[in-house]
Amino acid sequence: MNPETSPNSPRTHQQPKKVITGDHAVAIGAKLCRVDVVPAYPITPQTLIIEHIADFVSDGELDAKFLTMESEHSVMSAAAAASASGARVFTATSSQGLAFMHEMLYATAPLRLPVVMANASRTLGGPPGIWCEYNDSMGARDSGWLQLYVEDNQEALDMVIQCFRIAEDKRVLLPVMPCLDGFVLTHTVEPVEVPEQEEVDLFLPAYIPDITLDPARPSMIGTFMPAEYIMELRRQTAGAMESAKKAIGEINDEFARRFGRNYGGLIDTYRMEDAEIALITMGTVTSTSRDVVDELRREGRKVGLVKLRFFRPFPSEELRKVLSGVSAVGVFDRSISFQGGGQSYNEVRSALFGMTIPIINHLAGLGGRDVTREQIMKMFEITLKAAKGEKVNLVNWHNTRGETL
Amino acid sequence: MFEVRFHGRGGQGAVMAAQTLAEAAVIEGNYAVAFPFFGAERRGAPVLAFTRIDNKKIYSKTQVYAPDCVVVLDDTLLDTIDVVAGLKPEGIVVINSKDKPEDIDLGKELRTGAINATSVALEILKAPITNTTILGAFAKATGIIKIESLEEAIKRRFGEKLGALVGERNALAARTAFEKTVIGKSKGIKKLEPRKQWLPTYQELPVGGALVEGKTDAGLIGPGSFIENKVMGWATFRPLRDKEKCTMCLLCWFYCPEGTIVRISDRGDLMTNYDYCKGCGVCANECPVDAIKMVRARV
Amino acid sequence: MITIKELSDDNLFTAGHTACPGCGVAMSIRNAIRVLGKDAAVYVPASCAVVFGTTFPYGAWKVPFFHTAFENTGACLTGMQAAFEKKGKQVISVGFAGDGGTYDIGLQSMSGAAERNEDVLYICLDNEAYMNTGIQRSGGTPFGAWTTTTPVGTKIQGNRRFKKNLGDIVAAHEIPYYATLSIGHPLDFIRKVEKAKNIRGFRFLHMFTPCIPGWKMDPAKTVEVTKRAVESGMWTLYEVENGEKKITYKPGKMKSVKDYLMMQGRFRHMSEEDIKKLQMWVCRKWNLHYKEKGAPQICEIAPPEEHHAVTEEHREMHGP
Repeated sequence: MNPETSPNSPRTHQQPKKVITGDHAVAIGAKLCRVDVVPAYPITPQTLIIEHIADFVSDGELDAKFLTMESEHSVMSAAAAASASGARVFTATSSQGLAFMHEMLYATAPLRLPVVMANASRTLGGPPGIWCEYNDSMGARDSGWLQLYVEDNQEALDMVIQCFRIAEDKRVLLPVMPCLDGFVLTHTVEPVEVPEQEEVDLFLPAYIPDITLDPARPSMIGTFMPAEYIMELRRQTAGAMESAKKAIGEINDEFARRFGRNYGGLIDTYRMEDAEIALITMGTVTSTSRDVVDELRREGRKVGLVKLRFFRPFPSEELRKVLSGVSAVGVFDRSISFQGGGQSYNEVRSALFGMTIPIINHLAGLGGRDVTREQIMKMFEITLKAAKGEKVNLVNWHNTRGETL
Repeated sequence: MFEVRFHGRGGQGAVMAAQTLAEAAVIEGNYAVAFPFFGAERRGAPVLAFTRIDNKKIYSKTQVYAPDCVVVLDDTLLDTIDVVAGLKPEGIVVINSKDKPEDIDLGKELRTGAINATSVALEILKAPITNTTILGAFAKATGIIKIESLEEAIKRRFGEKLGALVGERNALAARTAFEKTVIGKSKGIKKLEPRKQWLPTYQELPVGGALVEGKTDAGLIGPGSFIENKVMGWATFRPLRDKEKCTMCLLCWFYCPEGTIVRISDRGDLMTNYDYCKGCGVCANECPVDAIKMVRARV
Repeated sequence: MITIKELSDDNLFTAGHTACPGCGVAMSIRNAIRVLGKDAAVYVPASCAVVFGTTFPYGAWKVPFFHTAFENTGACLTGMQAAFEKKGKQVISVGFAGDGGTYDIGLQSMSGAAERNEDVLYICLDNEAYMNTGIQRSGGTPFGAWTTTTPVGTKIQGNRRFKKNLGDIVAAHEIPYYATLSIGHPLDFIRKVEKAKNIRGFRFLHMFTPCIPGWKMDPAKTVEVTKRAVESGMWTLYEVENGEKKITYKPGKMKSVKDYLMMQGRFRHMSEEDIKKLQMWVCRKWNLHYKEKGAPQICEIAPPEEHHAVTEEHREMHGP
């Protein structure tokens, strides 16, 4: 995608823009989806989301059951149960809260309960902190939930709407977790175009599951399952995750047609056409990186950007395709997997297996440390060196005292 | 390597038998492993356990599919389970039965050691727990372990847990069974239809494993489908109701944990569906007019 | 009030389930759902009842069944009921949790649902230990009882703590209805389930459900043992409706706790001293439940003399 068609470029049929936080945008997204049940529990920096939804419900703007649960574990339990009972369910969490409900993530996905839950990305302690890091959601990457990382508040709102379409798609029927950077988005205001309710209604039909906990047609959901069946269940869930790739692309395209904003689907690219090296980024670092790419381009360096939007399903094929012409890849990670590099790095290396280009990991912004233009510049520099065949570290800790780059 | 598969019911001690056999083999200087099939074990429900014996370290961690010996702690299992499935042609069956081998129909003519382990156990242990008794028969029928080693293993394992006296008595039960075991050849007449099982492919499996009432080639599935599971084999005793004495107070109907007692004749009478009676005896115990007696389920 | 004869013939928890013979939980579930009827949806947390009630692809339930985890009965009922209400469906959301799932790991979730006064029916099937994992002590295990985690050793014999007073904890949430039930008291049982069915808000039915292997007892005695529990004061039958407590069955003369204990292998090791300790605990409970205000203590079994001095145990039982 070139700069002219990126999501940030002006649109033709624009709605009036609201200047709101990422959390507020997410809450509005949920409201537009006419969610039925919202079990909620506060945790910084997600709390604004549920506060806004509580306001919507209390003011009669949203006809939903708002449940003030007593813990995140209970939030996801209630979410699963409400979803199994036929409701469209939304909730939000962050960090310790996501960790606390970890067990229940593993119930929702294989039981194919299409809950949508925003995660405000925040460092998972200890030691405790409240700022942006992806070690909370990365721990949930093998739970069967779809996961995506957004770049700005507009994408946060738009993706809540798309998430329900994806989650409830019969080919998918899996829960989805849109992640937005704690504070960098959750508490930052920027102009956001709010879609019309009627347009959202046309895009997102009512959720009508095949089997629910309905006494008129008794069902069993979550039965004790012996080994004779579980392997097939796992295979089925894996298949749904694979099918999600196609659904995500189609839903992205339909959304773009209806609302005029195209996010590219599984991945987005920026100035990749003739790029010699690429940096793979997630979340808000993508945004800053767009500027850095422009700057480097002005200097005549052929660099490009790949925005890893969906982490589950992981876009291996798409990455191989878009990276086929580059001579080195840098991979940004905002969390560490304690076996060398970050999780994206490992996934990217696995996706690019067989390609001989250098793949360089750039760890930055852990615990919420600000990821500056200079750091991103450095990421490109190191990756360029690697492209030229110079020896560089495979894993680079940026802006880390004691570490030499 | 010598591989043994134990068939029993929850509560009969099949796992303990498998472990005790392993210990006896180790006492003789061999290497042995014993393990249960980790099912959701309930009292009376069929269970499996395995023992492997070799003269060197055993690496295989899979279940036993082609045993050299099958041990059956409860011959009611023969009605529903093909206990000799996979048994090697020259393999041996050790079975708790009041019958002689020639009268036991295993669907195949197989070398068989029979022992009325229940009566030995009742006599010596004062309880129908046959796991040590059957080991005595195992020693006699297979000859791969000395009865002395078994006695030692029983004393160790049972003595440790339940006291020396219990160990001694169980060892005596094994020794008694060893002496009483009859070896011969089983009948091979009946054809046991393997129980049909619904095994969907991952594409056929309902999404998320959610089920509504349904029917497959193997029978009902989903809500209420447990009626496919006939549990009469669990029962040692079953209730007999004296219609003359019965006052239709319905306490037995209310208490029955299985729902096996049903109202019939427009609610004027009761019927017991023995397919689902596990023989707990609550109905007989609670009958206010002593109209229900428990009798042996099989004679 | 429904009598036994008027109960429905509908088998909403079918035969062929795989509970142990004489299972007190199966007995209670069958009759509870018989009274509650078809318009119920059931949540069962991790427990024997999940396994013996459903094993894919089979199930005993003929009403909708849901299961996800262990500690979340209150929360799952909340979610189910919210969805039913939003969709305009008249469904009774019923949870069947064990003592471990209620006294211990599920206490928070239960408390949350109770405090919010969710319109759900929470049933605790109390068999006084973690039976599904093979008989481990829970907060509901009585004093002296053998479990695999409170074994009878040479130094320590059985459970050293007294059964947690769950009733007061639940009732303290000021919910519309809390009641204790015993399957050995059918009319009381039916009446309470029926009552809970028709009350709106958070209802809690606390069922005393013997476990044959866990209590090491004769399967034929399931009902008898609950009667003895009630006659001895080990289990009391009462209800708390809108804060008002009412004894629903008062035994005649208190029977010695020993009669109750001796029916069960889990207590058979108990020393005379331990039995006396337990008897004292029962006496206190008995007086608390059955004694009229201002009347003299009616528990006639004197505490053992060696315990007249204030010991640690004494404090445990009676407070400072």
